[in-house]
Amino acid sequence: MSEELHPSVAGAQPYMREERQGSGTTDEPLFESDEGRERLEKIRSRYPSARPALLPLLNYAQEKNGWVSTRAMEEIAGALDLTPACVHSVATFYTMYNKRPVGRYLIQVCTNISCHLNRGDDVLERFLEETGTRPGETSENGLFTVVEAECLGACGFATVVQINEDYVENVTPEKVPDIVDALWARAEGRDA
Amino acid sequence: MAFPHRHDLETTTLLSRHMGEEEARHLDTWLERGGYEGLRKALTMEPEEIVQVVKDSGLRGRGGAGFPTGMKWSFMPGADDDRPHYLCCNADESEPGAFKDREVLRWSPHLLIEGCMIAARAIRARHAYIYIRGEFFPVLPILNRAVSDAYREGYLGEGIMGSGWSCDLTVHVGAGAYIAGEETGLMASLEGRRAEPRVKPPFPAQVGIFGQPTTVNNVETLAAVPMILTNGAEWYRQWGTEKSPGTKLWCCSGHLNRPGNYEMALGVPLKDILFDVCGGIPEGRAVRAVIPGGSSTAYLTPDELDCETTYEGLKEAGSSLGTASPIVMDESTCLLRATRRIAQFYAHESCGQCVQCREGTEWVTEILTRIEHGDGRMEDIDTLYDLCEQLTGRTICVLADSVVFPLKSSLDKFRDEYEAHILRDTCTAT
Amino acid sequence: MSEQSGSQEAVTLIIDDVEVTVPTGTKVLDAAERAGVVVPHYCYHPGIPTRPAQCRVCLVSVEGQGKLQPSCVLDAQQDMVVHTATEEAKLARKSVIEFLLVNHPLDCPICDAAGQCMLQDYAFETGQLESRVEEPKLVMGRDRIADDVLYFADRCIICTRCVRFMREVARDDALIVAQRGHRAYIDTFPGTELDNPFHGNIVDVCPVGALVHEDFLFKARFWDMDSASSICPGCSNGCNVSVASKENQVVRLKPRHNAAVNSYWMCDHGRGQLVMANRGIRAEVPLLRDEDGELRPADWKDALDRVASDLSELGGGGRAVVSPHACNESLHQLRRLLELLGFQGGEFRVEQGGEATLDGFPKLKLRADRAPNATGAELLGFERVESLAEPGPGEVLVVLGERLDADPTLPDAAFGEHAGYVLYLGTRITEAARRADAILPVTSSAEMQGTFTNWEGRVQRFDQALREAGIARPAWMVLSRLVGLLGGEGATRLEAADAFDAMAADTSGMEGMDWLSLGLKGLPLASPADVAGGAS
Repeated sequence: MSEELHPSVAGAQPYMREERQGSGTTDEPLFESDEGRERLEKIRSRYPSARPALLPLLNYAQEKNGWVSTRAMEEIAGALDLTPACVHSVATFYTMYNKRPVGRYLIQVCTNISCHLNRGDDVLERFLEETGTRPGETSENGLFTVVEAECLGACGFATVVQINEDYVENVTPEKVPDIVDALWARAEGRDA
Repeated sequence: MAFPHRHDLETTTLLSRHMGEEEARHLDTWLERGGYEGLRKALTMEPEEIVQVVKDSGLRGRGGAGFPTGMKWSFMPGADDDRPHYLCCNADESEPGAFKDREVLRWSPHLLIEGCMIAARAIRARHAYIYIRGEFFPVLPILNRAVSDAYREGYLGEGIMGSGWSCDLTVHVGAGAYIAGEETGLMASLEGRRAEPRVKPPFPAQVGIFGQPTTVNNVETLAAVPMILTNGAEWYRQWGTEKSPGTKLWCCSGHLNRPGNYEMALGVPLKDILFDVCGGIPEGRAVRAVIPGGSSTAYLTPDELDCETTYEGLKEAGSSLGTASPIVMDESTCLLRATRRIAQFYAHESCGQCVQCREGTEWVTEILTRIEHGDGRMEDIDTLYDLCEQLTGRTICVLADSVVFPLKSSLDKFRDEYEAHILRDTCTAT
Repeated sequence: MSEQSGSQEAVTLIIDDVEVTVPTGTKVLDAAERAGVVVPHYCYHPGIPTRPAQCRVCLVSVEGQGKLQPSCVLDAQQDMVVHTATEEAKLARKSVIEFLLVNHPLDCPICDAAGQCMLQDYAFETGQLESRVEEPKLVMGRDRIADDVLYFADRCIICTRCVRFMREVARDDALIVAQRGHRAYIDTFPGTELDNPFHGNIVDVCPVGALVHEDFLFKARFWDMDSASSICPGCSNGCNVSVASKENQVVRLKPRHNAAVNSYWMCDHGRGQLVMANRGIRAEVPLLRDEDGELRPADWKDALDRVASDLSELGGGGRAVVSPHACNESLHQLRRLLELLGFQGGEFRVEQGGEATLDGFPKLKLRADRAPNATGAELLGFERVESLAEPGPGEVLVVLGERLDADPTLPDAAFGEHAGYVLYLGTRITEAARRADAILPVTSSAEMQGTFTNWEGRVQRFDQALREAGIARPAWMVLSRLVGLLGGEGATRLEAADAFDAMAADTSGMEGMDWLSLGLKGLPLASPADVAGGAS
């Protein structure tokens, strides 16, 4: 990718360009840094008014912090001259915004129809077992949050699991322990 | 991730010609493959001429409704309307079963950019937005690079390809809402609001994003436009039928030996796609049901599969082409469970404005869940039929109707499944 | 309903066999209302600009159209034939009600809205006795939306009237729909509450019992309440209100529609005025000072004869201190009395407060003058002052409604000590009243009929909401009797209508007004020039 972030894609960056450390989430101010202000301006430049920048900025909050805190909502509201309530309304409509901190690895298991036909429910169960969590709950070590996802748009490759931003396709319950082990190894390797 | 769908069976590769080729994602190699020739031609044409070519080609919207694309463009105000016009590319692919737009985005991003620019010129837009669903992270670096490169090399922005015509393109990412794929929901979402559909009229061609004339087109629709411009309408009509010309990306999933994405001329029998192209059902099991057009379309039974895969053919068979996403269920499938899972999805995705949809989709899901757990009663079948009636044609958008098609067809065609669960707490699946 | 007054075109259509002609652009729901057909609706509210057409209760059948159409957004068209009660439309409506009840707690016995709930009403109308729902109900609980407003999420039908009132009328985007689908609910930003001078209106627009005022919670059943049309006494805007009372106590003020004054709305300061209407310790009988200087009760005849005879013996002229809460009719009769005594002056003070404008209907403003009738008092010859002039020696001081001790800074406790005679007409026996020679108990504005003149000179009638305290009488009645006893013209005014008509005939700016034409919406003064500079 080119060095300079083109404004046309400034609002369309993947969330986690680098693997997060520790529990995976922070709550850093968004627009106090040069980078944050630049991103804000680039995104805003693509729309005729302020409000359309809302989703891209919520995405940016999640890219930066791993979740969208109420503090971040207030900051974005201020940047776009919206009320915090209005940002809250939008943020809670869309399921991808984590309104609570999540683990370093957010594991989203599709159980929608095509994955359902390919043992998606069993895959979900297996992930919960292997991580020792309940749906939506973050494991005590802060590493894993497993959630049931609706269709991820890769139905020919069922069961589809999204781990942070990577798609893992054709997952069977039998493959789950290895996947979780690999995540453990990655986490330990980084921490070491 | 290699494109896994190359094989010796009879597919047609127009849209998918370069899928699977990593290098085709890059601008220079894309140009070597004839990229941007359609746009070059379009830049020498008046907007009305472009619209006419697309009208003549018979191209129909690939997002599900099948509305003629050229006609949709012709609804936009003409040169005498000096308001800004906008194009929205709907890349919020989220119909369960569908995964075709993702393939276009990740393998042939420049094809989409080119299609966007031709469409923008045709409708006099100076800014196009690609609204892409938030989950498609792996696609973003590919698309973003293509867009940035196209800007740098003059295929986007000021004075495109040395012409006097300029147009911007912005990638806009959603955040998890099926209903953002509905035209007016998408516009609301792009404006930074909840993706709540609104009543039409006014239609987007009059009042769209930012209150301005707007056309919303699906990814696959726009990707088909460059080759139509390059080769002409008649050329495109050599595939498909009179009313459903061209090719279509088929997203085949469920119980298949070779699930995946296949481009087919419209009109081939559905069973050929499923049994020849996709290699039939694993382990020699029998088909029990197929949902042909994504999860919001009606079930077909095994003896209904020789229907022609056109908009008309599937309608005649009692279902719909939808997003051309057959979901195949073999004889081991519990159709009550499958239907419950589909209903559960729509309940989850209801925006919550219309009462019927907000409460009805959830109620249906709860009834189906209860039957699944062995607590059903025969009256539930009557209630479900009645709810189908009350969820049809009563709401702002068709999300509620989307539950009805699979639900009602499952009640009509697989009533034995419901009765087995209700009366004997068993399943007819093997 | 149509805003397009300039539109020349009209369309004629048939709604439930009634032919009706409406301006082009009128929606079918509004056209139906003109035809005398009420189409049920939840999300549509005439005072809120947007029509999201999301409740789907107003679906009607239109000949030639396959699907039912939402009448709130459907343009009336020439020769359209609409049926609002076809079997299909009725069935659709019935099913909406059934859907709304899927998760509804059915707690009507303890719901404040019972009896005036649109969900209850439509459920009753559709006549469905049994529910088909066997599923457990989703329980969401209750939340505080503002310091005085509670939200019962389980009763909410997500019509979004409250959200749109705040956004579009109050222009304060602080109330929103959170989440989506059947998990959606109304919310403020986490950790905050509504804090808008007009937010109480969200309770009024709520068609069900989801939003309730905490100070009304569990206070009264709708059918146990009496209601009277009145004018809010909270400021000079003159918002039209309904006063709901139970057992002779005001329990609630609600706005009453008046397009010229307050639309469908009122401010929260105004709602708080109900406390003032409920009596505390009241003046209930006339009190006269006896030979020993003690105040002793008397009946009206004795009291008025005695006061009249006392006044007729004094020659120092008369002066008054009045309250801008007194009605026009009382002030008019007082002015006549002062003229008989030899007018020396009449003054009033107006409590001041901060202002707040309802941006979506800017004519509605909580105005600095915290009294309903300062304009009327000025028109009737009383002077607005910051501080009251001390009555001169030998003057008769008539006090009407002014507490005199309400403000500790003004005037001092000895105010009126030089007066030759102090006549006190009031609702309460204040410290100042105790120094009077006679106290005549008068009714509060909640206990009588009369009129106020608002900031822009609109004369508006209020009706009696409560029974009078003891044998208190309207001041205009008492004063007109005194005028008669002192030889003035005109009979004792026993009806507000007579008192008003007498005043109108006698007052510049009110020429041609009469009680009959005044009605419940009021009338503007003849010429705005007659409204002296007191408007604010």
